Amino acid sequence: MTEPAVAVTGLTKVFPVPFRKQRLVAVRDLNIAVGAGEVYGLLGPNGSGKSTTLKIILGLVSPTRGKTEIFGHDSCLVESREAVGFLPENPYFYKYLTGEETLRFYGKLCGLRGARLKARTHELLKLVGLTEARDRRLGGYSKGMLQRIGLAQALVQEPKLVVLDEPTAGVDPAGSREIRDLILALKHRGTTVLLSSHLLTQVQEICDRVGILANGVLVREGRVDELLAIENQTEIILENASPKILGEIAALLAKSETRLVEQRKPRTTLERLFLESTQPLNRKE
Amino acid sequence: MVESRHRWLSFARIAAITRNTLTELVRLKVFYFLLIFALLLIGNSIFMARLSFQQEFQVLKDVALGAMSIFTSLLAIVTTARLLPQDIEDRTLYTILAKPVPRFEYLAGKLAGVLLLLAISILVMSAMFVAVLYLREQVLLSQILRQMSGLPAEQTREAVRSLEASAFNADLLPGIIIIYLKSCLLAALTLFVSTFATSNIFTIFVMVFIYFIGHLQATAREYWLQGNSGGWIAHGFLAMVALIFPDLQLFNLVDDIVVGTAIPLALFAKTALLGCVYTSVYFFFAWMVFYWKEL
Repeated sequence: MTEPAVAVTGLTKVFPVPFRKQRLVAVRDLNIAVGAGEVYGLLGPNGSGKSTTLKIILGLVSPTRGKTEIFGHDSCLVESREAVGFLPENPYFYKYLTGEETLRFYGKLCGLRGARLKARTHELLKLVGLTEARDRRLGGYSKGMLQRIGLAQALVQEPKLVVLDEPTAGVDPAGSREIRDLILALKHRGTTVLLSSHLLTQVQEICDRVGILANGVLVREGRVDELLAIENQTEIILENASPKILGEIAALLAKSETRLVEQRKPRTTLERLFLESTQPLNRKE
Repeated sequence: MVESRHRWLSFARIAAITRNTLTELVRLKVFYFLLIFALLLIGNSIFMARLSFQQEFQVLKDVALGAMSIFTSLLAIVTTARLLPQDIEDRTLYTILAKPVPRFEYLAGKLAGVLLLLAISILVMSAMFVAVLYLREQVLLSQILRQMSGLPAEQTREAVRSLEASAFNADLLPGIIIIYLKSCLLAALTLFVSTFATSNIFTIFVMVFIYFIGHLQATAREYWLQGNSGGWIAHGFLAMVALIFPDLQLFNLVDDIVVGTAIPLALFAKTALLGCVYTSVYFFFAWMVFYWKEL
């Protein structure tokens, strides 16, 4: 059997509340297995335990009970992080470093040196579209650029698993779309992606499977298409259908027991409209 | 399971964090205080020109070494206090510790960055100090030679010897090293406090408090032991106080140097060793707290 990229077994995290007897249960008996090469979305409202779960997986917080593993290594051990790249929510990197210096710093932490580090830095700057801004200090970067350099540092050692906590939080639709495309590119390269997000439409577009957390408990989990499918309904989208054809279909339906639930013109999304309207203005950062 | 190539201790990773910390501090323009030091030295030498040369050099050494001690102590506390809370607040710490970087290496790199900054600062201040001493010595030398041109050669040689002895001498070096070690100790202690403090303002406040207690505790201990016989409990208690609040007065060797007394080698070695031990112990405590810290 293939080893899961991330295995969370019976995970519980309880935080003591200072000066009070009561304790806060952030995560309760959580079981998740993310397969290698999969894009898994962890959803849930604020305070549902998403960030705590990600932090435990990364060894930043210790579990009260249960265990987490990354490619078979206990995630409490530092060596498990060789295969991981992480982008936290709303990160502020060292403002005094330039984009290139930032990637070189993180590359060195992952053991990259010399020509290999240089080549990887250039490759990543190109990948996230920051080659032009490589010599600018991060203090002058926009929110979207910071998020892209953050994603680049997460990828510096070519990790097999990338963990993204709200990767598009506070980013405009164009930047958000770019990050989405980068995640899809990772997926095509076989990199496992574990992300948490509030942007459900985007999660729906990129994730293979999702898990929904509420009050620290996994309430739903499964493949996105399976979870969203309405079993007893079928969607047909027609192009250039004349009123006569539509009338014939309606008559045919009337003769059967099938009920026409809704007939309407498909609409574009607000995101697509925004991107089409602002296309020439994008990428000027 | 994929075989790991991870090394539990990597000096290359520590060096990367050290370099980054030094870059951060340098780009924060902390070296501006060196300008104040330079102005202090120049101002002092202009003002003291009216005194005899022995007095002038004595005051110059006193002011310079005192300023070095205060500036490096302040620099150690203020720069170290912001490192950890800032990284936590900006979530930069998460991105570093999510890489294969043990917490020990992160802390060691941060402290080494500060110690390097302190070393550069004290080297620059020492260079300025020696330069001012040398320039004043040369000015006074030419004055003496001019004034004593008609007097016997032996008398002139004696005056020159006396001037040279009052100006720069090698005895200053141990004093400067001890000032550096004191600032290292304060940096390590600040790092320890910042591992459990809630903000850098709190850390600075606690450290200022410790700084004053550290300078006053020797006097308080002497006074207390005079009135009490001091059993093993009392001595144990005092040893613990000395650990929590380092006896900073022990590092104050410059008074002897200023008046021209050389520090005995044994005293220098003992004080230097004490500084290294204090720094190591505080770093160890910082690591212990940080190791278990929930981020």
